[in-house]
Amino acid sequence: MDLKTATDLVPAARTEGDALILTVHGEIDMHNSPVLRTEILDLVGKHLPRKLVLNLTDVGYMDSSACAVLVQALRRMRELGGKIYLTGLQPRVKGILEIQRLVSIFNVVKDEAEALNSVA
Amino acid sequence: MRLLSLETISDPARLAPVRHAVEAFCASCGFDEKAVGEIGLSVNEAMANVIRHAYSGQTDRPMRVDAEFQGDLLEIKIRDWGNGKDPSRVPPKQDLLIPGGLGLHCLRSLMDDIIFEPQPDGMLLTLKRKKR
Repeated sequence: MDLKTATDLVPAARTEGDALILTVHGEIDMHNSPVLRTEILDLVGKHLPRKLVLNLTDVGYMDSSACAVLVQALRRMRELGGKIYLTGLQPRVKGILEIQRLVSIFNVVKDEAEALNSVA
Repeated sequence: MRLLSLETISDPARLAPVRHAVEAFCASCGFDEKAVGEIGLSVNEAMANVIRHAYSGQTDRPMRVDAEFQGDLLEIKIRDWGNGKDPSRVPPKQDLLIPGGLGLHCLRSLMDDIIFEPQPDGMLLTLKRKKR
């Protein structure tokens, strides 16, 4: 089911079974990361998914505040007993996640299908 | 010698334009794409720390970024007129799931040297990176 979103940072969102799939777009830094955080947590709060899939293919840049948003999403999903998946990591995004040693705490998958097919 | 000098304010909306300007400068100095991204991120993180900590979130305070490239060495100086707190005295982050402290870790990982010099009216941070 396609969902309405409140920000251009998340231009597309849908649910598939117990999964919530969000497409994130743009360069995320201290200026707009609070908006992203609100959107992700609001959608998770509304739909209470077992799987949160963040498609970051169209995210060309993230700073540490954006990484903190991902960590907050991870914590929320853990509270719900679910998992978070990241896909479409661009080089700069992968780079900052590696520097901050966050890659290992997320499920990084090849594509949305791999996330949807995995066991939550 | 190549020089770049930017005066800006502590508004988070200014982070991206300054980062883009620094990245373009680094590219013109011959840094490769990966290094350009790392240096841009470092400047972003340093400025974000100024906004968050030196200026306690105020968005109208002055900041100055000066970059100098000579030989194979890039030096970027970020000056603020904030509370003078020295972030280098913050111990390294232990728990990845507790927010905060990631910015300084980025600087330490991506730049060859980072030097905090307290000023009578704020702080001067120098970031150094050699072109490899």
